[in-house]
Amino acid sequence: MTKDDVVAVIVENILDNLDDVEEGEIDTSKSMKDYGANSLDIIEVVSTSMRELKIKIPRTELADIDTIDSLADKFLEYVNK
Amino acid sequence: MGKRIEFEITDNGIAYLRMVDKLGKNIFSEPFLDDLIKGIDEVSEQKPKVMVLSGLEDVFSGGAEKETLIDLSEGKLRVKDLVISERLVHLNFPVIAAMEGHAMGGGLVIGLCCDIVVMARESRYGAVFMSLGFTPGMGCTTLLQEMVGQFLANEMMFTAKRFKGKDFENKGTNINYILPKDKVMKKAEDIALQIAEKNVKSINLLKYTLSARKKKLLIEARLQEDMMHQLSFGFPETKKNIKDLYAGE
Repeated sequence: MTKDDVVAVIVENILDNLDDVEEGEIDTSKSMKDYGANSLDIIEVVSTSMRELKIKIPRTELADIDTIDSLADKFLEYVNK
Repeated sequence: MGKRIEFEITDNGIAYLRMVDKLGKNIFSEPFLDDLIKGIDEVSEQKPKVMVLSGLEDVFSGGAEKETLIDLSEGKLRVKDLVISERLVHLNFPVIAAMEGHAMGGGLVIGLCCDIVVMARESRYGAVFMSLGFTPGMGCTTLLQEMVGQFLANEMMFTAKRFKGKDFENKGTNINYILPKDKVMKKAEDIALQIAEKNVKSINLLKYTLSARKKKLLIEARLQEDMMHQLSFGFPETKKNIKDLYAGE
């Protein structure tokens, strides 16, 4: 699995969970919060993505992540473990 | 500081109570709850025939506030949100929930306490309590079953997933209407107008009878939910969950 695949999973879940966000509009160097995500949105995007990727990352490891890009990097680390 | 609650009562006896805390997103802060209860009391005093309860276009209500949850998890506070549920269920006129925007946790339960519910296809409704680590409250455990049926209520409470209004279509729930967002208010008004044509004394009588079941369900819920809250808010994981989840907000 490549990083693009991981990003695609995250982006799909963002589109699924956030209103008024269009495909193609998402800049992965930004945070989900920049697109109006609240804490419950983020938890749903993160947990659904992890389920789809069949990975499980402790919350503490995700605490400092502040962009979609770095979230994808972290996911990729676990996908390839 | 903007207004949190506003209301008006029309000549034909329809009360419109709106939760309009744009800054706080209709989250149950102490001042918001105080204003909401005051609003409900003031509306009741004027003896309307029916009330339409609505929120903001994007948020009906976001439920509990972080500080409250932290206080609860630290044992500083006992859950008192139930006051809102009880107040709504004990009103002597019917209440129509016009839920245009999202409703989460306790915000969803406000809708469950009403007599007639109109939801929006595009908005999300979630019994999100378990995402934060604690068990559902405010009467959710018994009232959600009433609205969507036992098995769907189980799914909603165990998974804490936020359902879109359109997800409820064709599921055989008891939700009166699931409409495009811009049609929700109109439908609620239309129902209110039909009720307002009736004799107020008979409306009050009927409400007394029809609400008996809900009052009983709320008492049942309180017994169980209070006990579960005392336990689940005491779990160390819960406190951590709440703090993590609201980090940066």
